[in-house]
Amino acid sequence: MRYVKITNEKIYDFLERLKNYGKLYAPVKISDKFYDRKEIEDVREIAFEYIRTLMPAKKYFVSPTEKMFEIDIEKGEYKETLENIEPFVIFGMHACEIVGLRILDGVYLDKYPDIYYKRKRDAGIIVGLSCLPDEYCFCNLTRTDFVDVGFDLFLHELPDGYLVRVGSPNGHKIVDENTDLFEEVDKNDIDAFRAFEEKRQEMFKWEGSFDNMRYILELTMEDEVWDEEVEKCFGCGNCTNTCPTCRCYDVQDIPDIDGKKAKRIRFWDSCQFRGHGLVAGGHNFRGTKRDRFLNRYICKNAYFYGLGTSYCVGCGNCTYFCPANIDYLKNLMKIRSMTEVKNG
Amino acid sequence: MDNIYSLYKCRVLRVYDLTDDVKLFLFRFENPDIAESWTFIPGQFVQLDIPGLGEVPISICSSPMRKGFFELCIKKIGRVTDKIHELKPGDFVGVRGPYGNGFPITEFEDNDLLLIAAGIGMAPLRSVFMYALDNRWKFGNITVINSAKFGKTLLFKKELEAMRDMAEAENIRIIQTVTRDPDWPGRVGRAQEHIKYANTKPEDAYVCVCGPPQIYNDVFQTLIKNSYDPRRIYVTLERRMKCGVGKCGHCIAGSSTFLKYICVDGPVFGYYDIISTPGLI
Ligand SMILES: Cc1cc2nc3c(=O)[nH]c(=O)nc-3n(C[C@H](O)[C@H](O)[C@H](O)COP(=O)(O)OP(=O)(O)OC[C@H]3O[C@@H](n4cnc5c(N)ncnc54)[C@H](O)[C@@H]3O)c2cc1C
Ligand code: SF4
Ligand code: SF4
Ligand code: FES
Repeated sequence: MRYVKITNEKIYDFLERLKNYGKLYAPVKISDKFYDRKEIEDVREIAFEYIRTLMPAKKYFVSPTEKMFEIDIEKGEYKETLENIEPFVIFGMHACEIVGLRILDGVYLDKYPDIYYKRKRDAGIIVGLSCLPDEYCFCNLTRTDFVDVGFDLFLHELPDGYLVRVGSPNGHKIVDENTDLFEEVDKNDIDAFRAFEEKRQEMFKWEGSFDNMRYILELTMEDEVWDEEVEKCFGCGNCTNTCPTCRCYDVQDIPDIDGKKAKRIRFWDSCQFRGHGLVAGGHNFRGTKRDRFLNRYICKNAYFYGLGTSYCVGCGNCTYFCPANIDYLKNLMKIRSMTEVKNG
Repeated sequence: MDNIYSLYKCRVLRVYDLTDDVKLFLFRFENPDIAESWTFIPGQFVQLDIPGLGEVPISICSSPMRKGFFELCIKKIGRVTDKIHELKPGDFVGVRGPYGNGFPITEFEDNDLLLIAAGIGMAPLRSVFMYALDNRWKFGNITVINSAKFGKTLLFKKELEAMRDMAEAENIRIIQTVTRDPDWPGRVGRAQEHIKYANTKPEDAYVCVCGPPQIYNDVFQTLIKNSYDPRRIYVTLERRMKCGVGKCGHCIAGSSTFLKYICVDGPVFGYYDIISTPGLI
């Protein structure tokens, strides 16, 4: 891998230059408690210290609503609607979210590649940013705390700047076209990088392996430990919306007023909604609240063959944003009887 | 890059009432290149589209041997299927697919074949049956057990009845049975009660089962009691579907150790997949 360094003095120049490669999206602080990603005018607005945003970066690749076709009902003709996509740069994605994006790649770019997703993925440049975990993070357990592919550049915090890993041809191009911003990595930087990684590992609240979780979960699905949690859940779908790897969508044809034309749109759906498993004739494959509640745990803990991890990347969003204070990790720890809290 | 959600234009050629609420449709592709190249495996399905209303997954119920044409047997049960039932010869629909794994039909070759259907389950199994008839020399003895509640809801009743003479000559046994029809002159009882009358040799047979999920356990038990090999039992499953290509997540089923997209990994599953996975049936 190619490594370069950028110093703190040059970081805002760098961010400014990123705009040459497309619209720049980055996290900004929007209230006391929350950050969100938005298009950046003034690069000094960018919140480097953010841990999670209201919406994961998946929204740039899987739009909350997306027009797929324009349909001429009378003629029975369909015209695909491929919106114009400008190049864009997402600054500041953390490791978990980048792994999450690769999981989405596995879903959307499999043997049936999805053109709407592909076009956005091709247009997006990803600049990763190192982070220090809060009490909701558990990406160390899901083995998604460090990412080796899926980004163009990845910035690791140093005392006086950032060590940059260059992860793609686009990443190399950015470095090569802006050599005035970058310098060689020296021995002190490597030591600092190592120290940061060590400190980061120390900060995770839990340790151990999650690899057997899917089996324990399967074996305890009937347990009453779930009852109370199921009762608490509002079925609002915040957890799936804010999950970097949840991607269910529904499709609808919206007719124009005269009924001659229609738009086929797709929009985010959630397995926490009653209609998700409902079929004609009234049977529901996820008919009870318990079915729906557990479906998310099942799905997120399943094995994603493409990466050898689970579909959950340990970001903690689902817990952080749950209005019913349902703690996803604690629930799993309960059935796993995992008590190795390091920094409780 | 192609758009996987694009639809092929297909023309309705024939509409035939199978029962009060099930019709059989014959389609052909408009585009000659597609007609020439399009093929499928029995057990696969298509997404059938009514412009302005949406798509529904429907199993292909004809044999893949007839190029450019295919049949669907569709029950009227909701928004899109209501509209499908209004289609007339000459009308156009959109179709994409075929999707799903289908039955491991080449593995079936040189063996006996037992097909067990309940209700609308006859649709995908008819495709297997028609394929086996078109390739008669590749298969051993064949039995079809077609079951329904009433005589008038038995799918393909007349077609199967009409085959009886040919069947006899070809070592094919056709068993049609109903569960709740006192006026039915033929066999009565649930599908599994007729497994013992099949002409298939248990140690040598592949079994395909399709029907409402509630019947599966009983059918499995009867098959195993009659010495059929559990490794050779296949079923097809149903779920809500929106995309058919493993994207929309609606058809996801199974458990955390065996999470499957019914549309891509299925709809056909083996007996051992079923019994080791909570939530699959
Ligand atoms: C693999 C597969 C094969 C099938 N084969 C056949 C067949 O050969 N013949 C037949 O008559 N029916 C078949 N079905 C069931 C058929 O797809 C539904 O009856 C149909 O989708 C109902 O649509 P609707 O719009 O009329 O009903 P509505 O209740 O109005 O449904 C609205 C939408 O929900 C979805 N949906 C509802 N029910 C189902 C369902 N059971 N399965 C999947 N999606 C559903 C569809 O997208 C549908 O358009 C099959 C289903 C699957 C999954
Ligand atoms: S966010 Fe919380 S309350 Fe809402 S559906 Fe998810 S678990 Fe239930
Ligand atoms: S399940 Fe929760 S913790 Fe896991 S990736 Fe999704 S939002 Fe993050
Ligand atoms: S139908 Fe969409 S994922 Fe299977």
